[in-house]
Amino acid sequence: MIHAAPGGPTQIFLAPGLSPEAGEIQAHNLGLDRPIPEQYIKWLGNFLQGDLGKTFKNNIPVGDLLWPTVGNTMVLMGAAWLVSLLIAIPWGIYNSTREYGLSDQTASFISYLGFAMPTFWFGIILQQFFAMKLDLLPLSDMWTMGEEGNLSDLFLHLVLPVTVLSITFLAAYVKYSRASMLEVLNQDYIRTARAKGLKERKVVFRHALRNALIPIITILGLDLPILVGGAALTESVFNWPGMGRLFVEMAVSREYSVLMSITLVVSVMVVIGNLIADILYAIVDPRVQFGQGGSAS
Amino acid sequence: MTRSFRKGLSFFSVLALLATLLAACSGNKTPESSPSGSASPTPSASASSPSPSASASAEGPVDGGTLTVSTFSDIVAVNPLFVGDTSSGDLETLIFAKLYDLDRNANLTAEPWSLAAELPQISADGLTYTIKLKTTPKWTDGKPVTADDVIFTFDTARNADAGSPLVSQYDKIEKMTKVDDQTVEIKLKQVYAPFQYALYQSIVPAHVLKDVPVKELKEHTYGVDPAKTVTSGPWKWTEWKKGQYIAVESYPEYWGEKKPHIAKVITKIYADQQTEVQALMKGDVDMTQAIPLTQIEAVKKDEDITVILAPGPQYEYVQFNFKDENFPDKYSPFKGQKTRQAIAYALNRQGMVDNVLKGSGALMNSPFLPGSWADPGDAAVNYEYSADKAKALLAEDGWKPGKDGILEKDGHRFSFELQYNSGNSRREGVSAIIQQNLKDVGIEVKPRGIDFATWIDQNITPGKFPAILLGWSLTNPDPDAESIFSSKYFPPAGQNGGWYVNEKLDEMWVKGQQVIDQAERAKIYKEIGKEISIDLPYVFLYQYGLPQGVNTKVVKWAEDDRPESQLAYGYLFHAINWWVDRK
Repeated sequence: MIHAAPGGPTQIFLAPGLSPEAGEIQAHNLGLDRPIPEQYIKWLGNFLQGDLGKTFKNNIPVGDLLWPTVGNTMVLMGAAWLVSLLIAIPWGIYNSTREYGLSDQTASFISYLGFAMPTFWFGIILQQFFAMKLDLLPLSDMWTMGEEGNLSDLFLHLVLPVTVLSITFLAAYVKYSRASMLEVLNQDYIRTARAKGLKERKVVFRHALRNALIPIITILGLDLPILVGGAALTESVFNWPGMGRLFVEMAVSREYSVLMSITLVVSVMVVIGNLIADILYAIVDPRVQFGQGGSAS
Repeated sequence: MTRSFRKGLSFFSVLALLATLLAACSGNKTPESSPSGSASPTPSASASSPSPSASASAEGPVDGGTLTVSTFSDIVAVNPLFVGDTSSGDLETLIFAKLYDLDRNANLTAEPWSLAAELPQISADGLTYTIKLKTTPKWTDGKPVTADDVIFTFDTARNADAGSPLVSQYDKIEKMTKVDDQTVEIKLKQVYAPFQYALYQSIVPAHVLKDVPVKELKEHTYGVDPAKTVTSGPWKWTEWKKGQYIAVESYPEYWGEKKPHIAKVITKIYADQQTEVQALMKGDVDMTQAIPLTQIEAVKKDEDITVILAPGPQYEYVQFNFKDENFPDKYSPFKGQKTRQAIAYALNRQGMVDNVLKGSGALMNSPFLPGSWADPGDAAVNYEYSADKAKALLAEDGWKPGKDGILEKDGHRFSFELQYNSGNSRREGVSAIIQQNLKDVGIEVKPRGIDFATWIDQNITPGKFPAILLGWSLTNPDPDAESIFSSKYFPPAGQNGGWYVNEKLDEMWVKGQQVIDQAERAKIYKEIGKEISIDLPYVFLYQYGLPQGVNTKVVKWAEDDRPESQLAYGYLFHAINWWVDRK
């Protein structure tokens, strides 16, 4: 699709005013005058040999740009994901047992806030308050200069962006876990369990939760690529050196090979995400089995 | 000539827009007076900000420390033969020694940190330049900087196979002769006064690059790999964490008599300008190159930060197209000189400077920067805002009000499309003012924002547009602008995209190149300034600057070494003499 966008890499980095002929020579050297399918096959061929290509503008191997950002994004998104899960699932379960109680209402309110609030705006507000006014937390970046590798420094830098991202994740996960728990709690077998005189705690955690987790795992599996894709806006506001930011920058300068590689990494994560979800199904629900002919699910 | 279109901050708007979409789906030692005598004192920091040097003399410079500056885009490559973006240019300024430097008024000088020992000797016929190098300069790998390096640099730059953007600066060279290790004689094909500024150039090491085939130079790791980039400037490049920061450090082997005070300069890259400004206010960075106009007021409130609000080496203009086929009704309404003068009168240029530029601009009446040695001063006509004068001139030129109030002449309505690059908030604001101002005198303007790259490619380079709002960035301080205004330079070879013809001016531009004596040249540019401001191929609007923010509690300089907004890389003017103080 990016090829359909007007302009091209040469037009952006050639000195404006250079003659069109010079532009064509440049395009030829870079292989941009070849048909798009041919460009793609060439890229694919190189890729299979482990070569992601080089940037048009300064011949830097794409891997040099991409791989560090993948790790950085995973740190940020992983932390946000974990925090939101650790809060959302227990909270959703609790709320499902006390429907429309105060805690449930609060969760609803936060969900609306999380869905409706623009993340960059929320990020700026947090920066203003905690970094500028109170001077408690760092404003942006992943590390303080010269502190690379210091985990407590990283932790401090994570607080604000993780808060911003968690709110959005949290909003969805609380809703999902509550809804899916409620559905399970109305099933006949729960009534049976209760009728047998089991303790409510045992009913909720042993019988209901395992079944309620299945739809949640599906959502989590689908969300995994987002973790890698990063959140371009949050990464920009907090100057986090991640993949979302890289994608935006490279889209502006039309660095096709970087964009393709990012898309590829995200696609791989979609596959891995689904695989992990499948494995988790089997763990939480023994009825799900693999590779034994007809399945029971 | 290195002039490039000024894209302004549009990159950021594009970035912000894209991000939104994506989120939705996922110097000089002593301020010498200019020899021309015509130069007025350079407009320095505006009255609204305290002088940044106020506290400088209290304590002397201290050695050591780190200066952290911020930027909004990563470097591309820092090989001086290919530098085309300002971030790379900033880094080049820190790590490369130039043959000559510029003083505050853009005169060529040989500074203690310049490779040349003295100003070039120019032969009486104006054709031969003799350059004498210092004996002391050394590359970071210990080899001496010699005449061979100078010859290699210029030779490569003028070699079309290298693809250097500098080619037009050096293509007038006939031959170069190495007289001895420290002396180069350059003979030009013709007298060409702007050549002096081609000597304001970083030199690359011949011993590192001479065996690289010329066509492969651009792809070479020199300029992207800090370890392989052998330089001769006050700092050496030690680190590049792509997308995050660039670090340069002073080194004990530096050859100069004058050593840099600052031990380390870190350039941090920010993706979001809001965060960049916040980082300046928090103290994460000590200096930022461009504060968005919308945030200036907020930054000024911070006592530690000094905002340097001075117009820079770039100006904006409205350009007319004289070619009939570029208009829907095959008729260019701009052919009458009085019509163009009327438009100049009709535009409230001071209003644009006050309301849109918020003090970071100054009016321009000619293509020469106010305060530079070529500034024609009062010789250029200043069209003061007057709708009445505009209406009178339009009537004199035969325009009569039509049924809908829009002027008409020979059956043609005075209505045209004004193009600018979308996402540039300054040009958006100014085009709206132009639309309103011209409506007041009976001219209909239809502003249209176009994506920058597409616009340059489809409209600007081929000269296919009715009228444009655009800017020129004057990275080369020479006033020569023949390739923009002369009828010898129609597209595609030249940049006279408005198809403007004025034979008197054509001759004067050439004359300006053929006189070496700067005072004599200044007289010619005064004449040009007068003629061009009467004939108006452009309506010159204003020069504008990028507001520089500096934490002057930390960053210190002596008055003579303060940043110079009028120079292309003046924001790091004499940085070798600056120091940091974190007490």
